[in-house]
Amino acid sequence: MKKFLIKVNGNQYEVEVEEIRDGVLPVPSAVSSAHPVQAPAVAPVQSQTAAPAAVEKKAVITGAVGATKITSPMPGTILKVVANAGDSIKRGQVLVILEAMKMENEIVAPSDGTVASINVSKGASVNAGDLLASLN
Amino acid sequence: MGTIEKINNLHVRKEKLEAGGGADKIAKQHESGKLSARERLEKLFDSNSFVEIDAFVETRAIDFDMQKKKVPGDGVVTGYGSIDGRPVFVSSQDFTVIGGSLGEAHARKITKVMDMAMKMGAPFISINDSGGARIEEGIDALSGYGDIFFRNTLASGVIPQISVIMGPCAGGAVYSPAITDFVFMVDKTSYMFITGPQVIKSVTGEDVTFETLGGAEVHNAKSGVAHFRSGNEEECLMEIRRLISFLPDNNLTDPPVLAANDDLNRIDESLLELIPDNSNKPYDIKDILVKVLDNGDFLEVQKYFAQNIVIGFGRLNGKTVGIIANQPKIMAGVLDVNSADKAARFIRFCDSFNIPLVTLTDTAGYLPGTGQEYSGVIRHGAKLLYAFSEATVLKINIIVRKAYGGAYIAMNSKHLGADMVFAWPSAEIAVMGPDGAANIIFRKEIASADDAIAAREQKIEEYRNKFSNPYVAAARGYVDDVIDPATTRGRLINALEMLAGKRENRPAKKHGNIPL
Repeated sequence: MKKFLIKVNGNQYEVEVEEIRDGVLPVPSAVSSAHPVQAPAVAPVQSQTAAPAAVEKKAVITGAVGATKITSPMPGTILKVVANAGDSIKRGQVLVILEAMKMENEIVAPSDGTVASINVSKGASVNAGDLLASLN
Repeated sequence: MGTIEKINNLHVRKEKLEAGGGADKIAKQHESGKLSARERLEKLFDSNSFVEIDAFVETRAIDFDMQKKKVPGDGVVTGYGSIDGRPVFVSSQDFTVIGGSLGEAHARKITKVMDMAMKMGAPFISINDSGGARIEEGIDALSGYGDIFFRNTLASGVIPQISVIMGPCAGGAVYSPAITDFVFMVDKTSYMFITGPQVIKSVTGEDVTFETLGGAEVHNAKSGVAHFRSGNEEECLMEIRRLISFLPDNNLTDPPVLAANDDLNRIDESLLELIPDNSNKPYDIKDILVKVLDNGDFLEVQKYFAQNIVIGFGRLNGKTVGIIANQPKIMAGVLDVNSADKAARFIRFCDSFNIPLVTLTDTAGYLPGTGQEYSGVIRHGAKLLYAFSEATVLKINIIVRKAYGGAYIAMNSKHLGADMVFAWPSAEIAVMGPDGAANIIFRKEIASADDAIAAREQKIEEYRNKFSNPYVAAARGYVDDVIDPATTRGRLINALEMLAGKRENRPAKKHGNIPL
């Protein structure tokens, strides 16, 4: 469990982040909702709804994001996750299959390396530019 | 001075010229993985064929003590040589001489060989390795760049022009390569950018290295500025020789014809298995190309940019053809801003130089989304239609699988003037995909059915069987023939022979206005 202090528009939020390992279900109590802590004197009119909402975004992240990021080339749905975090892979090997434009597009590794994270799960809808996986 | 002395004097002068910036600077060049300006020419041309001109030209600038820095040759080696026995004109900037900086005399040497290349109708190759404009020569250096850009533009479509980046190429200097037909770059030693990392840092605060700003990888994969990427200079120079072998000398000649040494009517049954039964599965279009072209020889252009479309040169019956093929393996082979740009420019190159166009069509269509619309996919996509329509060279299309809607029209269709359109039995040619079409046409039936999902599936299948095939288009004559994939090579060569005498007259005009 890691704690982060995030400052948005002058409001400080304490956020706890837990890494979810492959196959291990998240413990409900561990998922903390961000709560604003008293910010030092700042402009009083601030929207406080934006920041907590951001934390609710459900990304199934397995492993920390690595140096080489693989993003979605176009909008679509994840049909299958082929690789797992921790796998060592060769350039051109399939990581995930993205169904888009009525085609089962193979998203492949741009280089040799180890899968640092798989950032999507089967059935997820993604937009162009969304992070799919990362390599180290 | 006697005659012998005069001749000796000439030899002394020449030796000095050919030493460039001296052994130390050439050693430094080698250390950084670069060849000298002259070594590059030795490797580029057939052995001992390079002939230098204007070796004695020097600057006449006097500001900032330039007369003391005067260097014969003025930082560039120019002349001509032969590649496979064919004449080619060249300029090669010498980084060891005042940093290869471009001054008035330097530019005049380059424009002189460009004029010669145009007059003689031979390709021009420009090797760039220069620190940029020679500041001491002020406006004369700028005038030099302008003169080069102007000639690049006049020569465009008249002779093939190739730019080779083998060092820095920054600021205004980048626009000469940008106008030329092909740009070659070498990993880790060549850079192109309008403004360098220091200026970017001071203006926007952004930290960026030379490599990530304008290295070979960036321009080959991201910006699409470069067409070829090599690991080192020797490899790059060999690749240029290979490219030249596919090109004609100028717009009034045909590309060289090699003796056909591959079976013209080769039946390739393995082509039948390449396309998956499930039309949602991807495959590599290049597997088809290598089976159809002479000896499987395909020179891919812009291999790393907009990979959803594949362009390049090959030969059929020894004659050069330009290939444009959708790549289902990458992004479902969609047409988008970058792939349309990439293909359109290539089509125009081929049309300028009498190179027949052969297209393989299998595309999911134009890529939807705000990203594409905001980037002007309408404007860029239009280039593809324009380029195909405008081209008067031989145009042959083979629809191997998906050709739907606007993308069907854009990809070298009969409607844009294709001379021959073939389809494989796997072709799906229709106004739109079965899913979408069934939803619209059978909306009421599906809505009123007891089991809407089953009804929808049934209607999709009905539509697929009725319309997603090559025979509807063939019944109208929009497809000239539906062919057995195994016979593709023979049918292509046969069509090229039949079309060889093609004449097509278009209305006279100064030039069209392609949507840029």
